[in-house]
Amino acid sequence: MDFYFGLAQIIGVHSLLGLSAYVVLLTGQVTLAQAGFFAVGAYVAGMLTVLAGWTILPALAASSALGAVVACAVGFPALRVKGLMLVIATLAFGEAVRLFFFNFDYQVAKGGVKLGPLGGEGFRQIRYFPENGWTTMDVMLFIWTFVVLAMALLWWFDRSRYGAVLRAVGEDELAAQSVGINLTAVKVSAMTVGGAIAGLGGGIYAHYTTHIEHASFGILLATFAIAYPILGGLGSVFGTIVAVVFVQGFLVEGLRFLGDWRNLLFGALIVVVMNVRPKGFLDAPTLLWIRKLFGGKRGAA
Amino acid sequence: MLDFLQALSDGVLFGSTYALIGIGFTLVFGVMHKLNLSYAAASIGGAYCGLLILKVVAAPPLVVFFCAFLAGGVIGYLVYLTCFHFIPISNPLATLMATVGMLLLIDEIIVHMTNGMPLNYPALFDDVMLRWGDYTLRGDLLMVFAVSVLCMAGLLALIYKTRLGLATRAVSQQTVAAQLCGIRVGQVNAMTFVITGLLGGIAGAMIGASVGTLSPLLTTPLTVKGLIVTVIGGLGSVPGAIIAGLLVGGFESVLQQFRGVTERDLYVMLLLFVFLVFRPDGIFGPKGGRD
Repeated sequence: MDFYFGLAQIIGVHSLLGLSAYVVLLTGQVTLAQAGFFAVGAYVAGMLTVLAGWTILPALAASSALGAVVACAVGFPALRVKGLMLVIATLAFGEAVRLFFFNFDYQVAKGGVKLGPLGGEGFRQIRYFPENGWTTMDVMLFIWTFVVLAMALLWWFDRSRYGAVLRAVGEDELAAQSVGINLTAVKVSAMTVGGAIAGLGGGIYAHYTTHIEHASFGILLATFAIAYPILGGLGSVFGTIVAVVFVQGFLVEGLRFLGDWRNLLFGALIVVVMNVRPKGFLDAPTLLWIRKLFGGKRGAA
Repeated sequence: MLDFLQALSDGVLFGSTYALIGIGFTLVFGVMHKLNLSYAAASIGGAYCGLLILKVVAAPPLVVFFCAFLAGGVIGYLVYLTCFHFIPISNPLATLMATVGMLLLIDEIIVHMTNGMPLNYPALFDDVMLRWGDYTLRGDLLMVFAVSVLCMAGLLALIYKTRLGLATRAVSQQTVAAQLCGIRVGQVNAMTFVITGLLGGIAGAMIGASVGTLSPLLTTPLTVKGLIVTVIGGLGSVPGAIIAGLLVGGFESVLQQFRGVTERDLYVMLLLFVFLVFRPDGIFGPKGGRD
């Protein structure tokens, strides 16, 4: 049973990562920087609980806030670059964050043992959960509470004016500007929200893996972050969750019986899915069909 | 001062390979307005394929390089088929994701075929050293530079002096008008991928020759540096990519000399950010203003 709880934990944390990329992708900005905000959140939350003795909720609040601040700082220069150049710029930012943590040493002696991040070795002994007697199920429920909260927030955005504004900017910037939408405010705010969710996810990740290092926050994690919304389709928040379950549940765990071939299939399956369903799993026609299934006569939106 | 000159010259010579990778990214972007993130992996893959000939016959290094050249072209065409041919143009996100899938796939194929062990790569002139007192010019780096310059010259001749080059430039400027003139856009796109694949194969072979070993770990840093070169040079501009490649190569090498290997990449990112803040269009930005 613990194995499934562990899997649910991974799916939960990756869902937070995917949701943070989803909100920024809605505005048409393809960002590979979410792994960078994730890393910032992870190190900050880890340092706060281990070195400063904070409890978990304030530490997560701080990691989320710091993720938002860094994202806001990235959002403004990101406005200067258009389209695919933003991909490269955010990729470079993510790498810069990773390299920063590669060179970052901050150790404090606690009870005779030196704790804290140590450059290439990473940050060990983030033992808040085991020290306070949390079981695997406790951690899983804790993670999923935050995932559900983030999903609810984004679902509420989608049903409010803010979601319509986000999608308008994503569809056609010029048209959105001509209707009076402030592009700067929308894009930077979307980036900030994404950064907050990613920072939160990072903080949780640091605590449930207990050992973080710079290599886990590289380009692969950044591409996972945007893969989830793209594979899942930008039509709905649930698409991202479906994609996370597909990738982590089916591709990573379900194909484990294939042994070494699993990694080969991973890339190949992504290529196949993109060729067969370019708009993702839950694209607009599929969502309409699902709504008709559940809504009966009222389903035809 | 001598250290600085030495590091600079070594870096600029090695930077010619970054220029080739940058040209590959920028050509595809210029013609199709899409990013092919699997390009660096395909170049290293082409270099590995060049090694396959060594399993059959003990061939001289030039034959290995030529095989890498050809293999790169084949891989380029495969990437075009799987990632760009069938996906409608209105879906840039889907093609981006598909190229990421190809990147992962090529990486994994390399790891599988070689069991993750780095392989030795043949080099030419690696025992030749031209010396002036304390200053050395490595012979193999000179050869890498010469081959890269030859390839770039060949590419520029292709783009500006042949009908295929004319068609490529036409498609990159105005796709619809080019179609109206009777140019088959699909064929031009495929040929662009084959040409960049050929360039990539040579670039991978040159990187292998100058570093001495090939390892699948090379793909990620090469992708990042290639993209940085492309952005600094201006997306869509081949001369920009050439100059930017030499610039990044020299800059990286000088900083490695003075600040050490672990901080070197951080400074390359800083160089990118400086360019993004002061010249977002790159050294030779596209004139039309399209992105």
